Amino acid sequence: MNMEETNLESTHEFLDMWVKTYEATFGKVSEIPAIGPLREKSEKISKGFPLFFSLYTTWMDTVVDFQNISMEAMKRMNAKTVTLEDKTGTESYKELYNVWMESYSETFKEFLKSGHFSSDMGKFTSNFLDVQKYNREMLEENYLKPSNLPTKSDIDELNKELYFLKKQVKELSGRINKLSGNK
Amino acid sequence: MYELSSIEKEYNKLMSGFQIFLKMPEVSVGTTPHEIIYTEDKMKLLHFLPTVEKTHPVPILMVYALVNRYYILDLQPDKSVVRKLLDDGFDVYIIDWGYPSGLDRYLTLDDYVNGYLNNAVDIVRKRSGLDKITLMGICQGGTFSVMYSALHPEKVKNLITLVAPVNFDTQKGLLHIWAKNLDADKVVDYYGIVPGDFLNSGFLLTDPFRLMIDKYVGMFDRIECEPGDEACLIRNEEIVKNFLRMEKWIFDSPDQAGEAFRQFMKDCYQKNLLIKNKLELNGKKINLKNITMPLLNVMAEFDHLVPNEASIPLNDAVSSKEKEMAVFPTGHIGIFVGSKSQKEVCPRISKWLTPRSGLDEERTPDIKIKTSKRKSKKELHEG
Repeated sequence: MNMEETNLESTHEFLDMWVKTYEATFGKVSEIPAIGPLREKSEKISKGFPLFFSLYTTWMDTVVDFQNISMEAMKRMNAKTVTLEDKTGTESYKELYNVWMESYSETFKEFLKSGHFSSDMGKFTSNFLDVQKYNREMLEENYLKPSNLPTKSDIDELNKELYFLKKQVKELSGRINKLSGNK
Repeated sequence: MYELSSIEKEYNKLMSGFQIFLKMPEVSVGTTPHEIIYTEDKMKLLHFLPTVEKTHPVPILMVYALVNRYYILDLQPDKSVVRKLLDDGFDVYIIDWGYPSGLDRYLTLDDYVNGYLNNAVDIVRKRSGLDKITLMGICQGGTFSVMYSALHPEKVKNLITLVAPVNFDTQKGLLHIWAKNLDADKVVDYYGIVPGDFLNSGFLLTDPFRLMIDKYVGMFDRIECEPGDEACLIRNEEIVKNFLRMEKWIFDSPDQAGEAFRQFMKDCYQKNLLIKNKLELNGKKINLKNITMPLLNVMAEFDHLVPNEASIPLNDAVSSKEKEMAVFPTGHIGIFVGSKSQKEVCPRISKWLTPRSGLDEERTPDIKIKTSKRKSKKELHEG
């Protein structure tokens, strides 16, 4: 089996069709510029839809990949179990467990090594972080700021300021020590 | 009948395992006695108390990775690289990077290498009264030690790297393959401080079935005692304790300072700048040809995280006249805690270091006089 490709063609076809339909219908609506007194907020909200959509499609790609690879692992396991000797007691279960572990572990490892997985995982992580960032921005915009509570960017700003101040203090202390002959 | 008795046997084995777990006290790690001689922000410099008379004047400073904790080098008394080196008469120090918090979000690689590491080296030099010390870098700490040795060769007498990546352009290790497609900017911009759990999920994914299922099954499978067999019960307790110590270490994952993580991922894993002599720290280019001190490059043959291909090119990249490579038939973690560690790895390091750890021109009388009185922690911290 080529680990760079996935085989669930029908599932892929269905997903493609679904994506195209979304893009031609609701996807287009969500891109319409907002108007009116709440236009800024509305636009920010509608900007979230494509992000959720991208995450969903990459998630589905990942699910299909894993389904595909699980099926391959099962095939390999079945091929190995045919050769298992008849044993009584728990030994036969142990042997079955070992065959299962070996087949699944090796098949998944092959897949995880592929450029296909690496690229898909990179896309998934990236889309996941986009959505997380969007959710946080919405939370800050709609709850933290109106409640006069500090946001992540406020804290980051403080941390940055502190970092540079500490660095400056260390540098100046070093110079003072040098001048006073301590170092 | 046979069927039932064998099921009963497996059931009893499982129950014995649970019984041991139920009465198991918390396991201890990093038990070799030590003193904290210097602290700076979250970083601590630990000095291990000698177990025998010190026979090698040149001290060893161990530098562990930012990922996971330094105590894998001192996991338990009979599996301790630190203790073995102490028993061989070496003076051993180690850096504990601590657990970064939001305050450390903007720390860069330069802060780690030219800041914390450089200060630790200076403290060890001052205490030993020597101009140069031995630097032993492990994993990412090895990469840091390589960077440091290239920037400050005048302070490093010997360089030892253990399972340390310097060439990141390899298709052998899964982390090297995956890192190419990771958007480090997005990760850092979102998290700020990159969660240790985020990285851990990546490590677990390198071999998901074995690391998340088989490891635990195997632990219970090893527990097998006849009722009343006290010696066996003690042995089982040891099995569980050893397992729990490793388990603690694996999941004791500090978060990562964002900017340092960003630079390490982009400049090392993605652009592979270090081995090309193009990596810069605070605008200063690192040229590996500046490494002239003796080098011992230690690798693990079955390393799934840092493949040998990632470490081997170091020896060709440096100018050192004395340089050696040692490959042991073990894995990335096994090199510190596996059966080969105490019997082969540590003796090899000791043997290589012994003739290189004596006094020679590095002794600086001025410094020696200054530090002849052992300084207090407070004085050292202020100094």
